[in-house]
Amino acid sequence: MARLAVLVKGEVSRLSKYGLFQATLVVTMFWLGAAWFMEEEMLERFVPLIFLLEATMMTILLVGATMFYEKKESTVNSILVSPVTMQEYIAAKVIMNIINSMISVVIISVAIYLMKGITFNYLLLVPAMIMVTIIHTLIGIKIAYMSLNFSSLLANYMVYVFVFLVPPVLAVFNVIRGVVTDFFILLPPEASNIILGAAFREAETWRLLAAWGYMLVLGVLVYRFMVKPGFDNFVMREAGV
Amino acid sequence: MFEVSELSYCYPQSKVCAVDGIDFKINEGEIFGFLGPSGAGKSTTQKLLIKMIRDYQGEILYHGKPLHDYGNQFYEDIGVSFEMPISFSKLTAMENLEFFQRLYRKTVDVEPLLKRVGLWEHRHKKAGQYSKGMKIRLNFVRALLNDPKMLFLDEPTNGIDPVNSMILKDMIREFRSDGGTVFLTSHIMSDVDQLCDRVAFIINGKLRECDSPRNLKLKYGKRVVTVEYKEKGELLTKEFPMDDIKKDSFHQFLKTKDIETLHSGETTLEDIFIKVTGVALHG
Ligand SMILES: Nc1ncnc2c1ncn2[C@@H]1O[C@H](COP(=O)(O)OP(=O)(O)OP(=O)(O)O)[C@@H](O)[C@H]1O
Ligand SMILES: [Mg+2]
Repeated sequence: MARLAVLVKGEVSRLSKYGLFQATLVVTMFWLGAAWFMEEEMLERFVPLIFLLEATMMTILLVGATMFYEKKESTVNSILVSPVTMQEYIAAKVIMNIINSMISVVIISVAIYLMKGITFNYLLLVPAMIMVTIIHTLIGIKIAYMSLNFSSLLANYMVYVFVFLVPPVLAVFNVIRGVVTDFFILLPPEASNIILGAAFREAETWRLLAAWGYMLVLGVLVYRFMVKPGFDNFVMREAGV
Repeated sequence: MFEVSELSYCYPQSKVCAVDGIDFKINEGEIFGFLGPSGAGKSTTQKLLIKMIRDYQGEILYHGKPLHDYGNQFYEDIGVSFEMPISFSKLTAMENLEFFQRLYRKTVDVEPLLKRVGLWEHRHKKAGQYSKGMKIRLNFVRALLNDPKMLFLDEPTNGIDPVNSMILKDMIREFRSDGGTVFLTSHIMSDVDQLCDRVAFIINGKLRECDSPRNLKLKYGKRVVTVEYKEKGELLTKEFPMDDIKKDSFHQFLKTKDIETLHSGETTLEDIFIKVTGVALHG
């Protein structure tokens, strides 16, 4: 436990030393700037989307970037010849991202309240953000495994965004309609959208439960079949720059 | 301490094995060296011994127990220095060391170590701004952080100036005097010659010889004495078999001639390496 705390502290402090935390702040500010100019009706759809993007896109990007640096600088090797276990290493990544997501929750909630006087159900929002962040940390780790260098990291990231994230976002703005959208629940970002959305509007109970169940099962499967088995190979691989 | 038998490992998607059926033993309290050219499999062997590569063929015993049976406590006991820099570039040297230090139960005071390797006054510099030699010295300090019983040093003096190289070698010897065991790899013959109690030659993933540098020299060295002497203003040389140096003929020769130099035909490890493997250490 003490070791995990050291790892998390290290992760968080490196996030700002490497300028990644600042980069996420800039993006958050950008979303808030856009929200400033929105009418109420638009805003109701947009605010949940900000949280969704923070917990999905930003999380994957942070995981990818930190793991890319750790591979490039071979510090992951140095960490793993200490008593740190793979589980601790991955748990530290997850917790670091949860902390980052919670900072986003606070900043965005306060800003939206101050700007527009809008509040929402924080008790539903926080656990949903944690869940979405955990899943996307694991997905980010898998994407980092698959990426041999920075350009393939970006390419894989783009593929994920376009295949999984764009369709549900288009559905939010009614660009995509019809029965096909019912199947979007199978896309991790859409399931994320459903559990996050419950903090903002009434949700159908069955959909909400299905999405939570799906996320839990998905988390276990991604960890068990993607993150865990690929780890040794990731560590061993020559650093690709 | 380590007993390795029929150890093989092939990287995925690689047709030839980086380590190909090697056997050796590392005794407690010795400095054991792997000498071999680039690509021979030295670093791969180190990665196998430190459990960074786990899916190998053959057997590695540590204190008589298979390495597989050890959990992460194994790492409390060992210190590892890699061939490449392993520090967070945006953190200072001190921040790096403090971070890694906290991962262990037992740690040492880094001040004397940093002073010894000449990095103390640079401790607040970012590791990314270090020179190559400074980074390698920092790696060495990193390896000693947890007061290990055994050190793994991959090319510890590569890219380091002669003065610092001497300092590191002294520290490695002191580590052994204090009861530590060392596994080191190198392609620099003099390092191995000066440091190692025993050395193994590795080439294309296979071991060729494994003995003390002294025994190797005795085995492969030419047992002759070469005498250079002056006669009528000319410099001449003559070789005597080592077994003849007790004989009168040799003594008579020394007495009567104007001797300039006297050399025993000691072969360097590098010559022996070429003789044994048929390959030069450097391209
Ligand atoms: N991560 C890897 N993936 C695939 N092949 C590798 C990997 N690392 C090393 N190899 C191959 O394994 C062989 C042995 O490499 P190794 O790094 O052990 O050599 P070395 O003796 O340490 O060389 P050097 O003196 O250059 O450090 C080489 O042929 C190398 O190309
Ligand atoms: Mg090497």
